[in-house]
Amino acid sequence: MTDFNALRDQLKPQCEAIIAQYEQPRSALLPLVHLFQAHEGYASADALRAVSEMLDLSLAVVESTVSFYTLFYRKPVGKYMLQVCRGLACTLNGAEDIMAYFREQLGIGHLETTGDGLFSYEEVECLAACDRATCMQVNLNFAYDLTPKMIDDMLTAMRAGKYEITPLPQTEHPPRTWTLRQDLQVSHGDKSAGAQDQSAPNNPGGLDRDGIIMLDRILSDEARFKGRTKERLANVEPAMAEAIEE
Amino acid sequence: MPVVKVLTEGIGEANLRDIKVYRDRGGYKQLKRAFTEMKPADVQAICDKSGLRGRGGAGFPTGKKWAFLPAGVAPRYLVCNCDEAEPGTFKDRMLLEETPHQIIEGILLGAYAIESHHAFIYIRGEFKRGYEVFMDALAQARKAGFVGKNLFGSGFDLELTVHRGAGAYICGEETALLNSLEGKRGEPRLRPPFPAVQGLYSKPTIVNNVETLAYLIPILERGPEWFAAVGTERSKGYKIISISGHVQKPGNYEVALGTPVRKLIELAGGLRPGRKLMAIQPGGGSSACIFEEHLDMPYDYESLQKAGTMLGSGAIVVMDDTTDFVRAAFNLVRFFAHESCGQCTPCREGGHWLERVLHRFLENRGLKSDIEMLARVSHEITGINLCPLGDSIEPFLASVLKRFPEQFEARVARETVRA
Repeated sequence: MTDFNALRDQLKPQCEAIIAQYEQPRSALLPLVHLFQAHEGYASADALRAVSEMLDLSLAVVESTVSFYTLFYRKPVGKYMLQVCRGLACTLNGAEDIMAYFREQLGIGHLETTGDGLFSYEEVECLAACDRATCMQVNLNFAYDLTPKMIDDMLTAMRAGKYEITPLPQTEHPPRTWTLRQDLQVSHGDKSAGAQDQSAPNNPGGLDRDGIIMLDRILSDEARFKGRTKERLANVEPAMAEAIEE
Repeated sequence: MPVVKVLTEGIGEANLRDIKVYRDRGGYKQLKRAFTEMKPADVQAICDKSGLRGRGGAGFPTGKKWAFLPAGVAPRYLVCNCDEAEPGTFKDRMLLEETPHQIIEGILLGAYAIESHHAFIYIRGEFKRGYEVFMDALAQARKAGFVGKNLFGSGFDLELTVHRGAGAYICGEETALLNSLEGKRGEPRLRPPFPAVQGLYSKPTIVNNVETLAYLIPILERGPEWFAAVGTERSKGYKIISISGHVQKPGNYEVALGTPVRKLIELAGGLRPGRKLMAIQPGGGSSACIFEEHLDMPYDYESLQKAGTMLGSGAIVVMDDTTDFVRAAFNLVRFFAHESCGQCTPCREGGHWLERVLHRFLENRGLKSDIEMLARVSHEITGINLCPLGDSIEPFLASVLKRFPEQFEARVARETVRA
């Protein structure tokens, strides 16, 4: 917690500058969460609490909004977030083989993180790089024209801690055919062997342990915001505020 | 050669991310001209006269959209939509990463035309490099005095704020985008009121696509007649077409609207040797397929509409005879099911059920009655949602169901075992 307080103090000027860009402070919600996530690696409960205080919103509102967006990870993710495109154009160019290869090499599936915390893997929708299919993003940096060899090199470099993101030159496209695979469907149930103890990064999937902790925080938060809500209501709907008073 | 270089001029040759290079090639001249020599209404009139239509997907005439703004109401906002996520589209990302100054100039021109003093650009969260490139370009433009107070001594203040999305296809829909910009969940709003009347912070707001705004620059430079001279009667000017799928040279090609589809596929290197064309999705993931017999059709808004599909964002996905259309249909239905915001029941539930039924086909466990049900359910969830996402499920699915029923029938379970 002290670590987080230090981070929050450090980012305070930046946060204030972001909020000042907008006519209404709430607009700064996404940029602020982006900012904290860039520093912490994920949108932590502390970060959401800090954002809720800065914007004078209840934690529940912040939580609800953040949960809408798939790029906000509400749990720690691996050092390398591997997001492979499963869009139509990539699929036509063999993305299913690429995805199967990734799963095989990593030992994890969609929305899972390896036990050592090095890799998170997600199959994402069209990344707008269909001309360079099949494509993916590593921590939101593009990699194009994937082949098993490239994946091998990439994973080896990552494991050795030597992976660098370099812009790739436009190359001719390796020939690929459409192949039929039956293992496409995202596993909703059991976890893959490589991801036993890790929770999914951005899919809370109902009330698991983290969800209950979050719910608890939201419920215990009531006193802090009650007054403000009433004040706000008095500005907008004075009659209703009076009615509640009575 | 049907390929033209208007917005794509210089891409791949010069470093247009550098404001010096951009200005040497004539950049920001039109902006200065507009601010010093023209009134906002003049810019509006030129845009209206050019016949420019929205390049994001809906194809609504831009001048007409601007005219919906109630007169004399301030503040008003311009929002540039760079949340490109329609499957198969990759033109905005190219413009963002390669010519960010063109986008800035386009936004500033658009904002001036509608007398907005605060413009926004909403950049898709995944476009990290694009965001960084744009922020850098914006800092350069600000330093050069193109953004901020009293631009070119005209007394007109104009601020430009960059807002990053966070991974939601639906935020490309304009009202969902506005909600997201307000720091809310990206759920579309009920219309009316339209954003032009009540948009961002309930103030009059115009949402325009990146490409639409960027075209304002050449239109001002060369005159509306130049733009209106090409294209067809109601589809004027040029458009960047993203071609991908089973072609040899996928990429962005800028052409005049009305270019025959066959020509476009030739531009993209044609099919791979020995392959046969099966289907073309002409306007992004939300459009119905066209087939071999449509190859000589001009690629414009009206012709595609007449053929039962749409031009959309100008994304062509070509599919040859190696394509498994059951899998392709599953892929797109899963996309829309995944990206549904969940507000409207038909879209939320319908999408997921269609996905499950199609998955059954993939496992060769389809039922004979499913084929008819897929057509019926996808049709019934259409037209009864707040936004066009729910309506986007039907076109592709229905067109391939009709054209390739044998591919679906082949996946019907041979024997139905009853417990």
